Amino acid sequence: MATLSPEERAALRDSVSRLLADHSADADVRRVMETDAGYDADLWRKLAEMGIAGLVIDEAYGGAGAGPMELEAVMEEAGSALLCSPLLSSGVLAAELLRGLGDEGANQRLLPAIADGSSIAAVALTGATGSWTADGVEVQASAAGHDWRLDGVADYVLHGQNAGVLLVLARASEGLVVFEVDPGVGGLTIKALPTFDHTLRLARIDFSGVSARRINSAEPVWDAVRKALDLSLVALAGEQAGGARRCLEFTVDYAKSRIQFGRAIGSFQAIKHMAADLLLESESAISAARNAAARLAEGAEDADAAVSLAAFACADAFTRVAADSVQMHGGIAFTWVHPAHLYLRRARADAQLFGAPSIYRERYLEALGA
Amino acid sequence: MTDGSLGADDALREEVRAWLADNWKGLPKTPAGAGGAGWGASPGLKAWLKTVVEARWAAARWPTDWYGRGLSDTQARIVEREFAKVGAPGAGQDRTNLWANTLLAKGTAALKAKLIGPLLCSEVSMCLLYSEPGAGSDLAGIRTRADRQGDVFIVNGQKVWTSGAATADYGMLIARTDWNVPKHMGISFIFLPMKQPGIEVRPLRQITDESHFNEVFITDAVAPVENLLGELNAGWGVLQTALAYERSVMGEGARGPRSGAAEARGEEPLIALAREAGVLDGPVLRQDIAKVIAYKRLNALNTARAKADLAQGSSSPVMSLGKLAMSRILHEEARVRTAILGAGSLLEGPEHPRAEDANFLTLNAYFTSIGGGTDQIQRNIIGERVLGLPKEPEVDRDIPFRHVRGG
Repeated sequence: MATLSPEERAALRDSVSRLLADHSADADVRRVMETDAGYDADLWRKLAEMGIAGLVIDEAYGGAGAGPMELEAVMEEAGSALLCSPLLSSGVLAAELLRGLGDEGANQRLLPAIADGSSIAAVALTGATGSWTADGVEVQASAAGHDWRLDGVADYVLHGQNAGVLLVLARASEGLVVFEVDPGVGGLTIKALPTFDHTLRLARIDFSGVSARRINSAEPVWDAVRKALDLSLVALAGEQAGGARRCLEFTVDYAKSRIQFGRAIGSFQAIKHMAADLLLESESAISAARNAAARLAEGAEDADAAVSLAAFACADAFTRVAADSVQMHGGIAFTWVHPAHLYLRRARADAQLFGAPSIYRERYLEALGA
Repeated sequence: MTDGSLGADDALREEVRAWLADNWKGLPKTPAGAGGAGWGASPGLKAWLKTVVEARWAAARWPTDWYGRGLSDTQARIVEREFAKVGAPGAGQDRTNLWANTLLAKGTAALKAKLIGPLLCSEVSMCLLYSEPGAGSDLAGIRTRADRQGDVFIVNGQKVWTSGAATADYGMLIARTDWNVPKHMGISFIFLPMKQPGIEVRPLRQITDESHFNEVFITDAVAPVENLLGELNAGWGVLQTALAYERSVMGEGARGPRSGAAEARGEEPLIALAREAGVLDGPVLRQDIAKVIAYKRLNALNTARAKADLAQGSSSPVMSLGKLAMSRILHEEARVRTAILGAGSLLEGPEHPRAEDANFLTLNAYFTSIGGGTDQIQRNIIGERVLGLPKEPEVDRDIPFRHVRGG
């Protein structure tokens, strides 16, 4: 992966920030989150034109060839603006899974359309437990001559209802295999799930004798999954860090302007001390997310620990900042029109999307040898 | 940088090296102390420091009138690096010697002539006389008084949390010299001679059962008026100068290897302790251990990020968070250590070193969460100076100090 210079990365971040300021403001987010697709096709096209949809996809397949650090920077801005988009599902998780599997035919067939944003890819891995482990895979694969058939259920599939192509993890007699599935094929039922975070899109997919195309893997399939998951965790950590920072910013602004008892509420230590504690949380989240991105980009030995640390530290930080933000605002943040609850919903969703923080604390300890 | 200045830097480096080669033979079997540390300097160290001061290496940034060479910061760092390379103490005191720096910035000509040389040579040692039993977080609320009588101040009051008081020759004292003006405007900054009958030093027994600090009782002690730093009643400003030196020295100290990625080298102490105690497989405990290790790691990452920001010329809000973060780390580590030991933490003494560690840490964590400004004061500072939140109204700010409630 190519890594940009700090100046180029800052320029990338700025251009994304400007685009989102214009197209992912509070009113935009509220409009888009009530649509079925849950993302703005025009904005997605603009992001794709900037190279964001294929940010981490190799240039050979039409991507920008950037790495985890660029992705993390972009995701900070996405989190800050509560961007509704299939980027994490398609341009990160699915694209990185394909890269890890290394099936040249599949890459040539699928990656260019993912990179230019014209096709959205979704990864169907988790079952009813929503667990991102090999044990959590519930779809069964059986060989039918040269063809394959899939049966079973995949649950909590990120942007499953928007997918132009599905990458499905399934159990075959030889072990785990990834299959390419056309969402329009017979025997497939995709049901959009109602999500607590209205900016999130999840689907449940039922497979009943679904025809599937096998994607070959140069290495054990779970190794490829793990790599894709790690990059996705770094992206999510960036989103959480950016969300936490923005949430604290508007909370502090409110504490400066809201007058009670004849003075700004931010002058009361009860509020001021909460804000100071939240600054420690949000700045620590930024440090953790950027460190994980840098370690992963280097392929460092301690990347596993760094990614695990970012996964739970950023989840906990965003959840706490968003929750305290509601409390610090008081009554105004108990109303639907105030943005605080949108951040709280996103924070709670992000904290469970790839597994609970406790799972990553455990993985962190294991990475440290305990 | 021009060739000319490069040449000057190289010449300077050669000069320092040659001088050190001729003069530095190591110290006679004493642990090498920091040059300007103050108390407890051995005779060998004092003799060496005198040599360094006479050769004008001790404070190379200072003007030539005051033991210096008027060097730029970059050049002075060259001197310090050469000293550090051979392990010779005494250079860079223009950054690290709190007492001499404060005196040079604010002292009278007479006091500077008398004490700056001896301070650089550690022939004179000093202590801080700031906090009082009634003035902790609210330092401007001090009630120790200094009353002018002819050519001297007569000082009465009580100071606390003074380290090195028993051996100090002088104390940097803040005392009230005008009771009819608001609290910040009636304070003066005085070098108080400590070796006189009016000074009584009593060690404080800390909750850890150690005694690093003293109480100082001051009864009709005398300080010559030439020992006043800055103008009369302008001591609060002098104190800010002194505190800035102190913080910058503490900041330098905090840049040691401990704040880096030390964990990478060996097993985390908490993991080792839990393994030894046979409880490393406890799922609840594992979550707690991971949290504490994460707090430490995040603080190190924050510090590294702040330093990188500073190196690029932008200040970082993260710098101010370190002390608050450290309080949480220490208290939480103490809590988890105690949880690991369980009943073992009931004991103390040399036969129970793990319990000693956990119990000491539990109590000594307050050194960080109270000392140098409580966590609550630190949150005010972060809220006001970093986040820009308005200050609390201060009821005692604009009234004559004699009408301010104390206690």
